[in-house]
Amino acid sequence: MKLLTYLLWGAIAAAAAFCLGGVALIRGEHINSIWLVLAAACTYITAYRFYGRFIAARVMALDDRRATPGERLRNGHDFEPTNKWILLGHHFAAIAGPGPLVGPVLAAQFGYLPGTLWIIIGAVLGGAVQDFVILFASMRRDGKSLGKMAREEIGKVGGFIALVTVLIIMVILLAVVGLVVVNALKGSAWGTFTIAATMPIAIFMGLYLRYWRPGKVLECSAIGFLLVLAGIFGGRSVAASASLAPVFTLSAMALAIGIIVYGFLASALPVWLLLAPRDYLSTFVKLGVVLMLAIGILIVRPELQLPAFTRFVDGTGPIFAGKIFPFCFITIACGAVSGFHSLISSGTTPKMIAKEWHAVPVGYGSMLMESFVAIMAMIAACVLQPGVYFAVNSPAGIVGATPAAAVATISNWGFPVTTATMAQLASDVGEKTLFFRTGGAPSLALGMAHIFARTSGGAVIGFWYHFAIMFEALFILTIIDAGTRVGRFMLQDLLSHVAPPLGRMMWMPGVIVTSAMVVAAWGYFLIQGVRDPLGGINSLWPLFGISNQLLATIALCVATTILLKMHGARYAWITFAPLVWLVTVTFTAGWQKILSPLPALGFLAQADKFAAGAADAATATLIFNARLDAAICGLLMVLVAVILADSARVWVGILRGTADAHVREAPFVPSRLQAEEL
Amino acid sequence: MNVLRRFARLVLATLREISDENAYQRHLAAHGRQHSGPEWRRFSEERLRAKYARAKCC
Repeated sequence: MKLLTYLLWGAIAAAAAFCLGGVALIRGEHINSIWLVLAAACTYITAYRFYGRFIAARVMALDDRRATPGERLRNGHDFEPTNKWILLGHHFAAIAGPGPLVGPVLAAQFGYLPGTLWIIIGAVLGGAVQDFVILFASMRRDGKSLGKMAREEIGKVGGFIALVTVLIIMVILLAVVGLVVVNALKGSAWGTFTIAATMPIAIFMGLYLRYWRPGKVLECSAIGFLLVLAGIFGGRSVAASASLAPVFTLSAMALAIGIIVYGFLASALPVWLLLAPRDYLSTFVKLGVVLMLAIGILIVRPELQLPAFTRFVDGTGPIFAGKIFPFCFITIACGAVSGFHSLISSGTTPKMIAKEWHAVPVGYGSMLMESFVAIMAMIAACVLQPGVYFAVNSPAGIVGATPAAAVATISNWGFPVTTATMAQLASDVGEKTLFFRTGGAPSLALGMAHIFARTSGGAVIGFWYHFAIMFEALFILTIIDAGTRVGRFMLQDLLSHVAPPLGRMMWMPGVIVTSAMVVAAWGYFLIQGVRDPLGGINSLWPLFGISNQLLATIALCVATTILLKMHGARYAWITFAPLVWLVTVTFTAGWQKILSPLPALGFLAQADKFAAGAADAATATLIFNARLDAAICGLLMVLVAVILADSARVWVGILRGTADAHVREAPFVPSRLQAEEL
Repeated sequence: MNVLRRFARLVLATLREISDENAYQRHLAAHGRQHSGPEWRRFSEERLRAKYARAKCC
């Protein structure tokens, strides 16, 4: 029996190595997406079984006899021991956002290989380890947050910096995802109508849930989903109507203003009316679509059209500037390592773990699942013809302002595409044009629509395209309204020290003022992105990626400190190695984004280039924006450098025996949970 | 067939957890209360206030 087990694991590991080798080495022919699926799946299974369990058994010494916070502090609300598979689903739903979908689509400008390898290797050795260790640390500390652990394990500076970094990331994140939605919906009556329809649907759901059928969330979400589907079908009629189509055909600026107003209302309105029902609906749609995409890829097994590497590995890419190192890693972000996950792993989840060993599937396993979502997004982007992929994702400022100029530029790069092909594609999906739709969402929707349509016999590609757009926009808007609300709470908390009434969560003037401040902050960056001649994504997505990876750096500093206190230097490499990598990547990227002499890459060089042009108000704004982006990037780097220095001080002290190496875990209490309770 | 049934039960339980329906049942049990409109609104307000005080993942 033991021999059979060895043989089985040997076969899975060999399959992982064979498929990874195939993905990396096959050249000169189109590669089937199944290679990527198998390479990822077999690597994840092997890593989960060996690396995940090694960390659990040797490093963490997980012990099911020890009562978890969920059992010890059980209160029927936050603290509740929960079945591990249910918690896995819950945790995965919480960590899965637009990052692993959009990042790989953008990174595909380098070809399928660099992004795919980083998604797989980064998740196994970095992202999943970070999520798992932070979950473990929080679980052993009564479910404490990352900020509290940073304060206790490293010092007060660490806790404060974690809070400020999260606030900055929120502002950049909300702006960049807002820009993704704007670019997906601009000039699209069908898409705009569908997304606009989700707002009255969410309000209907809120009223239904509160007054007509209280507590029936699943029933209400099912009704909401049917109404959203009706909205997609209705959108086609609206787009075809001579009187209604102009009403819903909006410019990028009009959409940006609409999203800003929406973010303000959603933050200030009662949460049950708009935010919560939309959140329930978008979570279910997200899980369902991810599952559909996985099944679709397995059924269709499409061939990848993009090559392993494109010419843009030299840093001259049209979607974002910069070489593979460090920008592939920054752009993929959440698909491999996400600092934001450490907030979830030290939030609700540790309070719901029933047995310590459940942290392996929940902490390590769910990040592998998220990484698999990123692989599927990479496949969806790479099944498009390269010329189409670049025509959709490139800004007019790079490829030329007209379709003819754009196809000429892109064809000259070696990715042939014609205006006729693009016109036919746009007509097939019910759009007027698909040129210059930067941000990743439309090309992801196109790829997904191809896969879904082929699953259903090649029919209704227009429906599937708008279904995919609806799916992306729905949960991005949920992030915008929830994020604005959270930002408002953080700001109210901070401002309460100078003006105590602003800290009162129910005081309407305070709510309005702080909501407006948060919306103004991310709205400013959103407008900046809309006005950016390079499309906005070129500036904002790397800024988001850098800030996200810097948050991961803070989480890995906390994790390394805890491992050093537990075992000395013996196992610290587990988190220290990814930490060194992330510091190298993020600081290199940050440095280049600020100081590169290339205007397409460096913010300051870009400002200088604008300054050499016309001296009008619009140019002055562009110059200010480029310098502001440089300042934000610099601030993030300084904040993280401070926490790194503070951590290094603590680490040296621990290793020399001069610093407090006391492990601040909750005391051991024997578990009394019975198997049938789970 | 049993495996399928168990899997379906697990999926439904996960959906109930995500939708807060399980949390509501736990709330009723913990406080010894019966389901009613006002009770759901009380639970929901408290639950949602805590839920949306935390950052949402990207």
